[in-house]
Amino acid sequence: MDLIFFRIAVALYLAASVGYLGFLLLSSRSSAPIPFWCAVAGFVSHSLSIVHRAVFSGFFPLATPFDVLSFFAWLVVGIFLLIRYRDPSPIFGSIVTPLASVVMIYASTLSYQIKEPLVPVLRSWWLPIHVTLALLGNGIFAVMAIGGLMYIFQERLIKKKRIGRLHRLLPSLETLDTINRHGLPLGFFLLTLGIISGALWAGSAWGVYWSWDPKETWSLITWFAYAAMIHQRMVLGWRGKRAAVLAILGFCLVMFTFLGVSALLGGYHTFGDATRFLRPSGI
Amino acid sequence: MEIVVIGLNHSTAPVDIREKITFPGDEEGKVTHTLRELEGVEEVVLLSTCNRAEVVALTVDVEESPHRLVKAIGDIHGLEPSAFRPFLYVKTRREAVRHLFRVASSLDSMVLGEPQILGQVKEGYRRATKVNATGPILNRLMHRAFFTAKRVRNETGVGNAAVSVAYVAVELANKILGDLKTKRILLIGAGEMAELAARHLNSQVEQPISVANRTYENACSLASELCGEVVPMEELNAGLVRADVVITSTSGRDPLITKEQFKQVMRRRRFRPIFIIDIAIPRDVAPEVNDLDGVYLYNIDDLQGVAEENLGERRREALRAERIVAEEVTKFLDWTKSLDAAPTIVALKERLEQIRRDELSRLNGKLSNLNPQEREAVEMITRSIINKIAHNPIIFLKRTGKSSKRNLYLDTAQRLFKLDGPPASPQDGDEEPHRQ
Repeated sequence: MDLIFFRIAVALYLAASVGYLGFLLLSSRSSAPIPFWCAVAGFVSHSLSIVHRAVFSGFFPLATPFDVLSFFAWLVVGIFLLIRYRDPSPIFGSIVTPLASVVMIYASTLSYQIKEPLVPVLRSWWLPIHVTLALLGNGIFAVMAIGGLMYIFQERLIKKKRIGRLHRLLPSLETLDTINRHGLPLGFFLLTLGIISGALWAGSAWGVYWSWDPKETWSLITWFAYAAMIHQRMVLGWRGKRAAVLAILGFCLVMFTFLGVSALLGGYHTFGDATRFLRPSGI
Repeated sequence: MEIVVIGLNHSTAPVDIREKITFPGDEEGKVTHTLRELEGVEEVVLLSTCNRAEVVALTVDVEESPHRLVKAIGDIHGLEPSAFRPFLYVKTRREAVRHLFRVASSLDSMVLGEPQILGQVKEGYRRATKVNATGPILNRLMHRAFFTAKRVRNETGVGNAAVSVAYVAVELANKILGDLKTKRILLIGAGEMAELAARHLNSQVEQPISVANRTYENACSLASELCGEVVPMEELNAGLVRADVVITSTSGRDPLITKEQFKQVMRRRRFRPIFIIDIAIPRDVAPEVNDLDGVYLYNIDDLQGVAEENLGERRREALRAERIVAEEVTKFLDWTKSLDAAPTIVALKERLEQIRRDELSRLNGKLSNLNPQEREAVEMITRSIINKIAHNPIIFLKRTGKSSKRNLYLDTAQRLFKLDGPPASPQDGDEEPHRQ
């Protein structure tokens, strides 16, 4: 019962995915609004599910891996719905809605039991600030990577002179490069704020701003990677295909920092195990 | 009473016949009116484009009326019917309806899926309504034709892909550079195809087009014609740096642009993407230029290949469109069948009886304390009320059998009592404004 909105949202996102797929196969213009409104309805239900979790836990629902992934999917769908106003081509939806569905189905296999009482460090206002900034940055990087992938496909089709349905469905190279051009500084800015807010939170919780926890280290590596990307784009004029490839590689790094580090390297960002929150390792 | 289509088009008649049958003077519907006045012709719509001339008519008898119409067409154009009779097709009933729906949906066009035809059909209909040449059947028929065309356009890709070289070039430019408004075009050389492509692109661009030519005077005259500016051939590289779309069509022997040279250009452009259309034969641009990052080089064969492939795609989509047409034809014919006095009267009686029963069952709660006799009385009163209401309309409809306005009355009765389709559904019949 407590996941009812979440399940409805997953069902609607899946319905939108199927609808978008049907659209891609049939190129029927009149059916395009259906998956979009499914996605909107899913987003509303998803929002309700997050509100519900917040009421349930009495605080921002970001304390379990389930909640963090759910929130991440929510942000990605939200960014997609915003972008859709600028570029109504349905192909973005046909990637974002399945992606959100997969992330959410994966999330629902993870622990969503909120431990009572919540560890004090998670009762801080820094929690929503830090997590929202970090995940919003990740969401932007995700959209950039999707745009990059489409850029590489579209550019290849045009170069090889294979002008078919897929070519027409994909947005123009210019549009896709614009996503990269706007996304890069914005995502980088959010990542920077995410790292700073994390450090401030650590400072207020434990009195130490930076303790070279694996997540911190990898965030810093990610930060340098995107800083380098900005340099290539702004100074050397890298755009188009090169920028697209970098966006995809950068996002692989982001995903490793986001999911891989906790799973493989541990550290106090491992949400499942509350004891780790008591003291950062090495202090 | 049957629907008949008489016409000729690009596949049945050569151009010297087509150019003779144009229904001159129909701008105000005069010709339509003349044909409407013919004996046995109830309703008429004329359709005339550069590729077709068609008469859509509702006639009293399928055997005689086409002959009269053909003769009248001959009289209008001052021709003997035998001069164009062999090129005509005469379609009746289902075939006629199907033909009209296919024409409106652009499935019968010379360029499959071209969008102008629907407007031309609408124009023909507008003229016919202006001189009151249409009635309930053709009104319905034309609106269903528009509706079918809309469905075909929305549900299939029959009008999607560009099928002419110039439009392929415009579409590609859009896919590479996005909105072309702020982009710059450079035209090198001259030639019919190059100028055509340049004109198409130029209509989407706000910046003046640049023109380069080995002969300075030619460049000047072409530039002034296209409201553009001249780039001297010596400054070609600077022009290439500024341009976003380049169309080349010189008649030189040696390649005008080499890979090494263009590498420099790309660096100076800071790798802004560029779309090059090479129409010259032999080619102006070395093919290896396409390997450079951000350069998209298409020659005339490439563009033609794309156009042909797109046409193949339209043909595949047309198969799906035919299914939509078949569906709509059946729907329309079902409606014409219902336009008969007997089924209309039955439907009217049923509708009234249904209203009576619905209202009684709604009041069931209040009527529950009546005794059986009182109940019986209520039944009787209500039944007699609806019978009285229905009496005159039914007599009237029964008498319309031979009247020339029979279709109108039957149609009106159906609309007044909403006899076609389920009650209270705003579907189908409602979207057409009724003209009469």
